[in-house]
Amino acid sequence: MIPYIPPLNLGMVINSSKDNTEVIYRSGFPQPLNYPYIEETLNLKTIIYIGSEKSVTDEYKAFIKKNNYSLKIFEMSSVRDENLHIKIKHIFELILNKQNYPILIHSNKGKHRIGVITGLIRKVLLGWSISGIYQEYGVYTGNIKGEMDLEFINNFEFGDLNVDFDIDQLPSYLNYV
Amino acid sequence: MVNYFPTHQTTSQHQLNQTLTEHYSFSHINMNILITGNKIIPPINFCPVEHQLYRSGQPSPLNFPFLSTLNLKCIVWLSNEDPEDSFLEYCDLNNITIQFSAINPDFGEDDNPWDGLNEKSIANALNTLLDKRNYPLLVCCGMGRHRTGTVIGCLRRIMNWNLASCSEEYRRFTGSRGGRILVELLIEGFNKDSIQYDEELLPDFIKNSIKKQ
Repeated sequence: MIPYIPPLNLGMVINSSKDNTEVIYRSGFPQPLNYPYIEETLNLKTIIYIGSEKSVTDEYKAFIKKNNYSLKIFEMSSVRDENLHIKIKHIFELILNKQNYPILIHSNKGKHRIGVITGLIRKVLLGWSISGIYQEYGVYTGNIKGEMDLEFINNFEFGDLNVDFDIDQLPSYLNYV
Repeated sequence: MVNYFPTHQTTSQHQLNQTLTEHYSFSHINMNILITGNKIIPPINFCPVEHQLYRSGQPSPLNFPFLSTLNLKCIVWLSNEDPEDSFLEYCDLNNITIQFSAINPDFGEDDNPWDGLNEKSIANALNTLLDKRNYPLLVCCGMGRHRTGTVIGCLRRIMNWNLASCSEEYRRFTGSRGGRILVELLIEGFNKDSIQYDEELLPDFIKNSIKKQ
C-alpha cells in the first residue's frame, strides 16, 4: 500500500456545498509523485495554473490530457505585473461558473500568487475581513509577509473588473436562490 | 441585508451586486450575539480541511456570525480546559454538540494544559471524525495549532497520506515558533489500525482514499 503524496501546500479554499461538487483547492505545482493522489481523490474538472507557460512539463500535459482536465494558464509573476486586472478578471469568470467545479488553482510553490488569488476570493465572494485574509496568507507562506500582496488585496476593487458571468451559473455557496 | 461588495462600483457590476445582496439571507444568524458590521471574521487559524470539515482556534463572539454560515452540527474541543462561556452559550443556542475529547477525569493532576494530547483523547476525537452523522464538523483547540494539528495529522494518516505531508500540514499552522517534535512523534507513532470504525458511517472523502488502495 503506497501512501498518497499530496502536492505541496495543498489546501481547501471553498468546500461548503452540500453535495461536495463545488470545491476549490489550492496547491503548489503538482509533480509526478502527486498524480495518484490528484487522480484518485480530488475528482477535478478544471486546473488553473498561475505562472509561466514554460514551466508546464510534457509529463504534466500528458497527465492533464489523460484525465480530461481543462488546464487554464495565466501568466503572472507578481502583483506588480502590468495588465494584471485582465487576468484576474478571467480567473473570476472561471470561478463564477459552476460548470468549472471542482477547481484546483496552483502556482509553483502555492504560497504568494495563490495567496493573492485566495485572498481576493475571500474578500470579494465570501466577504471575509482583511485580518482573516492576512492570517490565512501567513499560514501558507510561513509568515513571510508579502507587503505588496497584502496591499494589493486590500486595495482591490471587484467593481473595476467588469466580470462577465451568467446568473444561472453562479456557484451555490453564494447563496444565490 | 449585508452588502458584501465594495461600495464603489461601476454600473455593469451593479446587477451582480443587487442580485447577491437581495438573496443573501442572514436570518439564520443570531444577531443578538454581535453585529460585526458588513465583514465576516473567521476564527484564528481557520481553514477548511475536507468536505464539511473545518479546523480553527477557539472562536470568540466576533466569529459567531461566520460560524453560523457553516451550519455546524458538532464541534470537537481538544483543550483540556473548558472553553469560554460565550462559546458554550453559542453552541447551546444553535444546537451544536460539543465533544470534549481531551477533558478526561481519569488523568487528573497530570493533565496539564501545556501537555499534548494522549492516545486516548486522539482516539476519542477520531471516533467522532470517522462518523459522517457528525458532519459539518469543526475541530478546535485554544489556538488551533498543536492539538488540532495532532488530530488532523492522524486523520491524514488514516486517509493514507505519507508522513512528510502530514507533518508539513501540521507545521503550516503552528506559527512562527514552528512545530513541536512531540506532536510529530504522536502523528508518526499513531497506529491507524487501532481505530475501529463502521465503514457504512465513514465520510465520503475518507471512504474514497481508503477504497482506492
